[in-house]
Amino acid sequence: MISFEKMRGNGQSPPRVSLVEVFWSWVGSFVGIAAVALMQYKLVDQTGLLMLIGSFGASAVLIYGAIRSPLAQPRNLLGGHILSAFIGVTAFQWLGGQPWLAAAVAVSTSIALMHLTKTLHPPGGATALIAVIGGDSVHHLGYLYVVMPAASGAAVMLIVALIVNNIPKTRKYPEFWL
Amino acid sequence: MSEANDRFCSPIDISELDILAAMKDIQGYIDISPGDFKEVFQVAYSHAVHRLMDARKAGDIMTRPVHCVELGMDLVQTATFLADKGITGAPVVDADGRIAGVVSEKDFLARMGIGTSHSFMQIIAHCLHNKGCMATVLRNHAIQEIMTTPAITAGPEITIGAISALFIDRQINRLPIVDTDGRPVGIVTRTDLVQSYCITR
Repeated sequence: MISFEKMRGNGQSPPRVSLVEVFWSWVGSFVGIAAVALMQYKLVDQTGLLMLIGSFGASAVLIYGAIRSPLAQPRNLLGGHILSAFIGVTAFQWLGGQPWLAAAVAVSTSIALMHLTKTLHPPGGATALIAVIGGDSVHHLGYLYVVMPAASGAAVMLIVALIVNNIPKTRKYPEFWL
Repeated sequence: MSEANDRFCSPIDISELDILAAMKDIQGYIDISPGDFKEVFQVAYSHAVHRLMDARKAGDIMTRPVHCVELGMDLVQTATFLADKGITGAPVVDADGRIAGVVSEKDFLARMGIGTSHSFMQIIAHCLHNKGCMATVLRNHAIQEIMTTPAITAGPEITIGAISALFIDRQINRLPIVDTDGRPVGIVTRTDLVQSYCITR
């Protein structure tokens, strides 16, 4: 039975953060994405792999903008991307003949496994999906996709987060490693 | 813990406005809605209350040694004993030292009393109205005539949460703690219980 009462959303939205917080979120995500984008433009490939930047853009919101969130911790950032990349590649290799099915399996299975391993990281869903819909250049990588660009990109983003998020007195990152 | 006790110990009713104010005081984006936080707080509070209620046991907080009166003492001796020790009640033990009942002010008042509430003030009022004291009716009676039996007792392992529930449910002020043979080893009074909560410090 559909509950319209539940849809009213009687709660309150959290307060807006301070301008200092906004500033450091901007700096962190600028540096983090610059590093990953540069690496992929100059070192890797100019075509399909760039799609993964989309996934890292989502990660940037969390690890530079909501650094206290459990979803933004190193375990989730690295674990989420690596696990989802692996699932995505596997889904394409097994079910690539039916791309719609491979895409759905990749994302849903990634979410389930991220939950089970306590590595839930929303951009992981994009990482899994891109392994399926990313085109030939991604497909040719095979499981290399897990290491490069997924794991390496996440690692670069993490290093930037560890540096930038610990510069201001009011910030501390991470909350936990494992 | 009884439901009655849970009701009295319900958590401070923090409002979502309090939570919003706290979230503003703390730097950074906190990834939880005020409503969710409130729910977490209330459940956590209830866990904390139960943990504290289970953490301490009668053996940790009871007064010992316990002053006992003996079966066979008359009421004059009993009243004198309680007055000397500065206490308002005590376990009653038999010749083997096993608990046979509990005697307290309430039992004396009930014996002297008129009406149903048996309060000390009622006795005072009655004495003043009648130009005489009613305590004389207590002479030549033995303790077993007025003591409360059977005694409500517990072992040293009972938690302070369970003791609180007993005090409220059974309307008692003291709980003799007995060993496996039924011999008193200590007593938990309301004062002991209040001190065990550390609220007054």
